[in-house]
Amino acid sequence: MKITVNGQEREAHAGESILDLCRREGIPIPTFCYHQAFGGQGACRMCMVEIKEDGQSRSRLVAACTYPLTKTAEIITESEQIQRIRRTIVMLLARRAGENPLLEELSRAYGAAHLPAITVEPANCILCGLCIHACAEMGRSAIWSMFRGVDKRIATPYDEASDDCMGCAACARVCPTQAIKVEEEDAVRKIWNKTFALVSCSRCGKYYATREELEYLSKHGDFGQQQLCETCRKKNLAYNIKTFQQ
Amino acid sequence: MSKVLFVEPEKCTGCRSCELICSFIHAGEFNPLRSRISIIAFEKTGFSFPAVCQQCSVAACMEVCPVGAISVDEATGAKIVNHAVCLRCKMCTIACPFGATFYDADHDLIIKCDLCGGDPECVKHCPSGAISYREAKTANYNKRRANAEKFREVMEEGR
Ligand code: SF4
Ligand code: SF4
Ligand code: FES
Repeated sequence: MKITVNGQEREAHAGESILDLCRREGIPIPTFCYHQAFGGQGACRMCMVEIKEDGQSRSRLVAACTYPLTKTAEIITESEQIQRIRRTIVMLLARRAGENPLLEELSRAYGAAHLPAITVEPANCILCGLCIHACAEMGRSAIWSMFRGVDKRIATPYDEASDDCMGCAACARVCPTQAIKVEEEDAVRKIWNKTFALVSCSRCGKYYATREELEYLSKHGDFGQQQLCETCRKKNLAYNIKTFQQ
Repeated sequence: MSKVLFVEPEKCTGCRSCELICSFIHAGEFNPLRSRISIIAFEKTGFSFPAVCQQCSVAACMEVCPVGAISVDEATGAKIVNHAVCLRCKMCTIACPFGATFYDADHDLIIKCDLCGGDPECVKHCPSGAISYREAKTANYNKRRANAEKFREVMEEGR
């Protein structure tokens, strides 16, 4: 399927999103709520592009991360209009996370006007939803988007320690603004108002995982059951080579 | 049959050349913490062991990954991480029985041996020939039977 992007012809697979095509072809499109592990959510609108499909007389604005390519089309990824939309999005998000390095950089790049900050919880959260999806991919769905409108925020139900959370912190690591706090000290890890007692290595005593993480692994097969930290597992390799020889 | 990184610890002098070249090739700096291969030194016995991913046929890292970010390189059989897909949940690092997949916190990346695409640099730069890249055959393992006693000592210390 022939798709023209910024005047250049490209070959697309039927049904793939505009963003997938552009990523593959190395055409940059900015995103907030897209992740290659689960695709686009169409939530942040940062990836807006102009598209004119076969048979249409005028081009339209669509979210590149969710829009599937089904017929020959012309796409424009940079224009005055697109730039204006992205600038507005950055300007609004900077109210929530203006001090965050990512938003600082984008504000500068897009020349976004500076609006008074609003205080949000967790601080710096831009509501992209990546954490929610990451947690769902982990099969936990411990966090969700709560409330509506200006009160909307990501949380566990009633802000309580959730039984579903295993403390893996995947949510915190996919967060583009580092809004999710993880504290780890010796024997405990804290995240989302839950305190995890860490499991210690049976050989050297180093704390290395939560009990819930180990349970998760055992549910997926015979994994992580040696109760050894990374280094002691490396030593184990020496031992395994020995047993190979007998 | 695909080739494997074959380690002969009895030849290893613990010079750590492999760690340096590996981090340099993959991360652009000489930094053992970013090397995919690590020297485990057992101080009392003066014994060193190059620990590296075994590219297991049923690989724990690959099995536990919730998003399929780890796949098999068709050409080499290496299990490789797609950083764009990876969620950094670190499950693979806890699951690997040999501690060979780990998290580089400074750069927020899961790292592991990728066999350098079929031409492993550690093999080329090991001055004592302790790492080789060869066909995986059981015979290769039998060669080192004589060293069993040495290993016993080592493991006593490891505990
Ligand atoms: S730390 Fe808890 S909330 Fe975050 S992804 Fe893991 S299970 Fe979900
Ligand atoms: S850290 Fe990345 S590669 Fe490892 S299991 Fe999680 S998603 Fe998969
Ligand atoms: S990346 Fe497409 S809407 Fe957010």
